[in-house]
Amino acid sequence: MSAVTNPGTRQASDAGAGGPLLEVTDLAVEFRTPDGVVRAVDGLSYRVEAGRTLAIVGESGSGKSVSSLAVLGLLPDTARVTRGSVRLAGTDLLTLSRKAHRARCGDQVAMVFQDALAALNPVHTVGYQLTEALRARQGLSRGDARRRAVELLDLVKVPNAKARVKEYPHQFSGGMRQRVMIASALAMDPDVLIADEPTTALDVTVQAQVLRLLAEIQAERQMGLVLITHDLGVVAGVADDVTVMYAGRAVEQAPVAPTYTTPAHPYTRALLRSIPSASGTGRLPVIPGRPPSPAAMPSGCPFHPRCDAVRDICRTEVPPLATPAEGRTSACHFAEDIMAGHDPAPDAAAADAPAPNDGPNNGGGDHE
Amino acid sequence: MSDGVLEVRELVKHYPVRSGLLRRSTGAVKAVDGVSLTLERGKTLGLVGESGSGKSTLARVLVGIEKPTSGAVLVDGEDVARLSRAGRKQLRRDVQMVFQDPYTSLNPRMSVSEIVGEPFAIHGIDPAGGRRAAVGELLELVGLDPDHANRYPHQFSGGQRQRVGIARALALRPKILVCDEPVSALDVSVQGQVINLLEDLQAELGLSYLFVAHDLGVVRHIAHDVAVMYLGRIVEQGPEAEVYDGAQHPYTQALLSAVPVPDPSVRLVEASTSEAGSASSSGVGGAAIVLEGDPPSPVDPPSGCPFHTRCWLAPTLPEAQPDPIPSYPLTDRADAGLRLVPTACETDGPALVPRPEAGSGGAPGGASHVVACHFARELAAPRVEA
Repeated sequence: MSAVTNPGTRQASDAGAGGPLLEVTDLAVEFRTPDGVVRAVDGLSYRVEAGRTLAIVGESGSGKSVSSLAVLGLLPDTARVTRGSVRLAGTDLLTLSRKAHRARCGDQVAMVFQDALAALNPVHTVGYQLTEALRARQGLSRGDARRRAVELLDLVKVPNAKARVKEYPHQFSGGMRQRVMIASALAMDPDVLIADEPTTALDVTVQAQVLRLLAEIQAERQMGLVLITHDLGVVAGVADDVTVMYAGRAVEQAPVAPTYTTPAHPYTRALLRSIPSASGTGRLPVIPGRPPSPAAMPSGCPFHPRCDAVRDICRTEVPPLATPAEGRTSACHFAEDIMAGHDPAPDAAAADAPAPNDGPNNGGGDHE
Repeated sequence: MSDGVLEVRELVKHYPVRSGLLRRSTGAVKAVDGVSLTLERGKTLGLVGESGSGKSTLARVLVGIEKPTSGAVLVDGEDVARLSRAGRKQLRRDVQMVFQDPYTSLNPRMSVSEIVGEPFAIHGIDPAGGRRAAVGELLELVGLDPDHANRYPHQFSGGQRQRVGIARALALRPKILVCDEPVSALDVSVQGQVINLLEDLQAELGLSYLFVAHDLGVVRHIAHDVAVMYLGRIVEQGPEAEVYDGAQHPYTQALLSAVPVPDPSVRLVEASTSEAGSASSSGVGGAAIVLEGDPPSPVDPPSGCPFHTRCWLAPTLPEAQPDPIPSYPLTDRADAGLRLVPTACETDGPALVPRPEAGSGGAPGGASHVVACHFARELAAPRVEA
C-alpha cells in the first residue's frame, strides 16, 4: 500500500467546497445472530461539517457505536450494511472494496476509542504505535517517525514528550493514554475524527482536560468531530449539533441549544428530565422499562412502550421523520406538540383506554 | 454527632509496596490516610472523589473486606476491631455492600434465588416462612418479579441485576448499606430507577447509606451530607447544599466546575463560530476551572497539602511570592518548572476546620461544613449553577 495521495491538497479542496466532510445517508446495519438477523442501525443519516462537532447520544445498544464502525469499514464479519451510503468528499465509501474503504478512511477519517488501554498494544512503545500508520503509508524512516511521534505527543500536550515516546502504554495514566489515542488518530491529519466515548473512563477533571484539548485541535485544523457519548452533560458542553439515537434510529436531530430547551421527541425530553439536577431532591423522573432488544423490536414507534405521551397511532405506525422547525427533525408522530411543550391530543376513540395498559404495575419496578 | 450509626476515626489504610529480591517493604500506597466520618442514622453520606482518591478502599474497610492499618470503625458506637468472632459475624449482617458492576458481582452459575438467598445460608438463618418466601419478598421489595427467581443473571438487564445485588445486600436486614458506585455502570434512563429504589428503601427500612460515587450529580441528588476525598484524605465535608453551593476548597470547586452540566449555555469549550449555533451566545459565562495533570501517586503523595501540586488557587495567592533568595532568582525557579505556592501549602498538611464564615444561611445544629485548606476563607464559589 504505497502512499499515493498527498493529504495536503485533498484537505484544501474539501474545505473550499463548503459541503459536509462526511455525509451518512439512510444507513442500515444488520447482524447475523443465532436468533436470526438483527437490525442494529436502521435508517441513520447525519452530516459532519468542517469545524463543527456532532454528538451522537444514546444508551447502550442504541446503535451509536455500530454506525461509526460501519462508516470506518470496521464492522465484524457477522455484520453487514444493508442500505444507505457514506459519502466522504464525494465518494460513497460503501461502494468501495473493503480494502479501498479502509485505505480511504485511514487517510481522512480517524477514530478514538473509549478504552485506551485496550486499544493500545501493550508490547510496543507509544512512539512506535503513534507512527505505525505513517511508516506503513508514507514510508517514513525510523528517525523521522520518532521525530513525528514527539511532535504528535507535544500536540496533545503530553509533558516531556521526548522521553515519553519510549515508554509503554502501562506507564501512562488514563488521561495521558487517551491523549496518546488522540495523537495517533491525528497522525494522518484526518478531516474527520470520530471519538467513541473518549472520556467515559476518565475522571471529571481529566475529562475536562481531554474535551478541551479535542476542541482546541478541532478549531485549529477545522476538523469535523463526531462525538459518541451517553453523557448529556458532555454534549451540552462541547457539541454544536446532536443526534439522539434510540433502538438503531435517530429519533431527534438538531442544534444543541434548542434540543435542550425544547426537545422535540419524548425520548429526548425524558432523558433530559432523568438527569439528577442541582435543584431536584424529590423522586427522579425516570423512563420506565428499558431499551428494547433489537431482536424483539416493538411494533410501531420503537419508543412507544416507554413513552409518556403514547397514543394509539404510535403502537402501529412507525413515525416518519418530522421537521417541527427549521434545522430540526424528530421521529415522533407528535413532534410539534412535544416541542411546544404540551402532550398530544388524547385518542378520539376512548380517552381512558391507554391508562390501564400502563397503569397496574406501579410497584416501583422496571415496568412502573 | 449525636446519632451516628457508623463512625470512622482517623482511619488509615496503607498497602505495603514490596520490591527487590527479599520483597522488603519499600514504601506504602497510602490509600486512606487519616479519614474521620460520621454517618447519621437514616441518612445518606455521599463520598466523592476521583479514581485513586481512596474512596473505594474506605468502603471496603467499612464492610470488613479490608482491615485498617490504624484507626477505628465504630458501628453503633462499638469498635469493630474489639469485637469477638461472633460479634464480627453480626457486624457483617449490619453492614452490607452493593457493588459497582452488576455484571461481575453476581455469580453467573447461580440462580437469582440462590444469590439472594446465599446470605441466609452463610449465616445459618432460617427466615420466618422459609428461605424461598423470604427471597420472593426481597425480590418484590426491589421491584423484581418473584417468579423470575429461578433465572440466571445473564437473563437480566443491567438495572435488574443491580436490583438483584441490592436484594442480596438487604437479605440480612442491615442497618447500613455501603454502595460503591451502584449506578455508574447503568444507562442514564435506568440509573434513575435504581436511585429512586434506593431512596424508597431508605424511607421504608430506615437504612443509612454510605454512597460512594464519582458522579457529583447523582451524589447531590441522593446524599444528605457529602465528603470530598483527594489522595486518601477528606478535603471538604458538610451538608450537601453547603458543599455544592458554597464549596470552599479549591479542589471541590474544580471538581464541581469540571462536571459537565446538561445546559448548553454552560459551555466547557467555546461554541464553534457558526450561524446555526448562535443561540448559545452566553458561552463565556462558565469559566470552568480546568485542573492540570493527573492526581499524584498515593505511594508518594506531595508534602503538606496533598492538593498543592495541582491547586489552581495557590499560585495566585499573595503568599505565593518567592522568598528573595539571591541564589535562586525568580527566573531560575520558573525555568525549573516550579510552581510557586505559599510555603504553608508545601509544608503543612491543612486540618479539616469549620468554614470561617458560616453566616451564609447554613442550618445550625446539623453536621458542620469543614474544609482542609489553609486559604479556604478567601475562596468564592466559582459558578452558580442554573
